[in-house]
Amino acid sequence: MSLTTEERRTWLERVPLFRGCSSEIIDQLADAMAEFEFAADQPIVQQGQVGNGLYVIVSGGARIVAGSEELARLGSGEFFGELSVIDQRPRAASAFADGATTCLALASWDLVSVLERDPRLAMNLLRELAGRLRMADEQLRH
Amino acid sequence: MNQQQILDALAGLSLFSDLDRPQLQAVAHTMSEESFPAGQRILREGFTGAGFFVILDGEVTVRVDGDDVARLGKGDFFGEISLLLGEPPIADVVTSGPVQALQLAGPDLRAFLLAYPVVMYRMLQSVSRRLDRANRRS
Repeated sequence: MSLTTEERRTWLERVPLFRGCSSEIIDQLADAMAEFEFAADQPIVQQGQVGNGLYVIVSGGARIVAGSEELARLGSGEFFGELSVIDQRPRAASAFADGATTCLALASWDLVSVLERDPRLAMNLLRELAGRLRMADEQLRH
Repeated sequence: MNQQQILDALAGLSLFSDLDRPQLQAVAHTMSEESFPAGQRILREGFTGAGFFVILDGEVTVRVDGDDVARLGKGDFFGEISLLLGEPPIADVVTSGPVQALQLAGPDLRAFLLAYPVVMYRMLQSVSRRLDRANRRS
């Protein structure tokens, strides 16, 4: 699969993370991202490796695994890797392709420069993570 | 605290580490300085009307269902998660001793962060780090 810039744009605009971004930013993201194809069960990122990119699932899916525990199954339009990208820390979990999978990947340095140029994108991501943090904190109470 | 002491305190915080002195002054003017005695509940679990607080001096205890789950001190901030989500706090935040803090009223946080994207980025790193820790604990 090889996505045109226009297809990438359409795809990115569906991702909640990038909702509300200007066309210019979407174009820059589309141009900056790279496509990667993975066979079923192939590792996309490995737990413990220094994180350097955000991955958006175009087709197929990803199993998010920490140690021996599966944390989540993600599908088309969902993303992962954002924690390492923002904090430059080792990957908290591995991601394995759930069937044949194609991802659009955004490198951490490109994400940071886009966040600095478009505060609304940063706000979207901040609220997404805040919601996840609250869910995680609430789960820990029970 | 006088204005100079507040600026010196702000200059040492990682949240504001990308701001220059004039920007720090602007931030200090935007927020209001608050003093709390020991044993005061700054945030109440389940109650709306929360604000955003940056601790300049002193310590607070984060309490969930009566259990102390964390301590926050100088340089730490709290209240932002509730404000970002538009939901009430899920914990009480109670002062352990006298506390000096800067406060931003709830409705102002979004505009403040958009005006200071570098601060928003530091907050993003903080939330990201906390989420990472929470995920690893579960």
